[in-house]
Amino acid sequence: MQSQVEPNLSYFIAKAQSIKGRTFQKKIKVAILSSFTINGLEEALRVKCAESDITCSTYICGYGQYNQDIFDQSSKLYEFSPDITFVIIDTRTVMSTLFYSPYATPVNDRRSYIDKRVADFANLIRTFKNRTDSKLVLTNCSIPTYSPYGICEGKSEYGLKEMVYDFNAKLSDAFRSDPQVFIFDFSSFVSKYGEVNVLDYRQLLVGDIKVSLSHIPHLAEELMGYVKANLGVNRKCIVLDLDNTLWGGIIGEDGFDRIDLSLKPPGMAFVEFQRVLLALYQRGIILAINSRNNEDEALRAIREHPYMVLREENFATMKINWNDKISNMKEIAEELNIGLESIAYFDDDPINRELMLKAIPQIMTVNLPDDPSLYASALMRINDFNTLTVTSEDRNRGEMYKQEQKRIVLKNSASNLGDFLKQLEIRVTMKKANGFTIPRIAQLTLKTNQFNLTTRRYQEEDVQMFAHDQTKWVGCAQTMDKFGDNGITGVYIVNKNYAEKEWIIDTFLLSCRVMGRGIEDVMLGYILSKAKEVGVEKVKAEFIPTKKNKPCEQLLPNFGFKKEGEQWVYSYHVPIKQTSHIELNED
Amino acid sequence: MSNDLLYIVANVMEVQVSQIDDESGPETIESWDSFRGLILFEELESKFSMKFTLNELLNIKKIKDIKNILSVRGASLNG
Repeated sequence: MQSQVEPNLSYFIAKAQSIKGRTFQKKIKVAILSSFTINGLEEALRVKCAESDITCSTYICGYGQYNQDIFDQSSKLYEFSPDITFVIIDTRTVMSTLFYSPYATPVNDRRSYIDKRVADFANLIRTFKNRTDSKLVLTNCSIPTYSPYGICEGKSEYGLKEMVYDFNAKLSDAFRSDPQVFIFDFSSFVSKYGEVNVLDYRQLLVGDIKVSLSHIPHLAEELMGYVKANLGVNRKCIVLDLDNTLWGGIIGEDGFDRIDLSLKPPGMAFVEFQRVLLALYQRGIILAINSRNNEDEALRAIREHPYMVLREENFATMKINWNDKISNMKEIAEELNIGLESIAYFDDDPINRELMLKAIPQIMTVNLPDDPSLYASALMRINDFNTLTVTSEDRNRGEMYKQEQKRIVLKNSASNLGDFLKQLEIRVTMKKANGFTIPRIAQLTLKTNQFNLTTRRYQEEDVQMFAHDQTKWVGCAQTMDKFGDNGITGVYIVNKNYAEKEWIIDTFLLSCRVMGRGIEDVMLGYILSKAKEVGVEKVKAEFIPTKKNKPCEQLLPNFGFKKEGEQWVYSYHVPIKQTSHIELNED
Repeated sequence: MSNDLLYIVANVMEVQVSQIDDESGPETIESWDSFRGLILFEELESKFSMKFTLNELLNIKKIKDIKNILSVRGASLNG
């Protein structure tokens, strides 16, 4: 997959026609509700989904009918039962006559008007949430660029622009901690492309079109961020070339003192690019290097160059050698235990990019501009690093991968696996589902593929509901060892059937980061012991095979579970497997 | 320009270039509704670096009208 410039809307209209009826690996149902004409968005979303291997079915509300659709319990919207609902509103509609004549209304009335509008939307959204589990993405309002007060706009109390700012701020505040509702910053979208481009007065007058047709594909691209995050389809790792990518020039030819990397142009372009990369690292994106170079020369630049922003500790792994980049790339994926489809690759050399694109099409090979001054903006345009929440595990991920490097060193020096595991001094803390752990629990069910018995995907709201359900037990495991804290890496959801004295394991998963250390055994042993304590006689589990979850195929038989039809059953006929090298705690 | 024009019309309306002549328009091409009409005008504007006025948009009935507007605006009709 290659990232590219946005095609015209006509491309999406034609393509949408040609993919009709085709199905792809993942599925999503999207509803589009809007206060104005938004033709073309549906087609652009369907095509973009198809390009990411997603079948997207859609529901479009009638012209300006979004209120009715949400308030009417028997509306087609609820019948459609969307996964994501986009509600796209515009400043003119929200502000009504105040948009044109704000100052004909006294300031106190202007304030109460905005409060009333915020309350209206809060009420609309409450109604929506009572009727569906769909995620709701509501746009905020673009800030008007014109004021009849001209240069005095800033001097007037609660003027037109301030009203819209206030509306946006109150809307964000109202839903900041609501995992089901997201505010899409439409105002930023308009700033990014410019109001003169996003609003075409002729289209507005002819067809009440408030996002010009030329910008519908861009809007679709931004909204795809929510679609992909909801499905857990995102890029987790950025793999970088060095020469002419992280710095200008060639370290092996130009030398340490001559590469372009400084606080002046042209070297500053690379500093700027690295700063954006660092911010992504801080939000949980893994960075790695894949470069054909002499390792010692390149490492010296990374470690000692005064203007390097990224240093050795920011890279989860570095392949700096004369091997081919394709093999290096495969090694990186293997070492970091991530799928090729979660990698984005930056290389200035079009030939290298072409080779990578052909050899490993799942990787997003970024079409880097020829001009390094555009690198940072090319990186910022990529909308594939999204998750629905940023957890503390995300923020500490870079550090965790660094610790992992130390574990590998220990593993290579230990005489055998048992020895290595003992020396790791692993401690597992079993935790309940609560406000702190639920976002991470949901995130793990959404993205864990390999060590996952049933691959059931749950959104945060689902997990929240389970946590309050007396017939369910939701928990997670935090793992630490002598190199550091891996955070929450294991999740289980158990259905408790006391009438039958049996428990059924609905979900059991372990992050691939900590596979193969016996943590899964501690978790499963813990569940079995807890069941026994309350008089359960049978624990049932399922293994639903997928293309990716072979690593956990043997978990149940190894514990003495016996296959009965589709289920695996443990009836305490053999003792619960013990794991002596791990210390278990409860929280 | 003529070729570019026909190509863009064909592309937006999803018809063959051979099906389009000076007299073609919303009356003769089924897919040419007001929505596709607006897409067409926008793509022509970006191709020929010009802008239609609102009145022009409202009064275009056939390809010939577009050609006239483009030639008045100085877009060369050769080719």
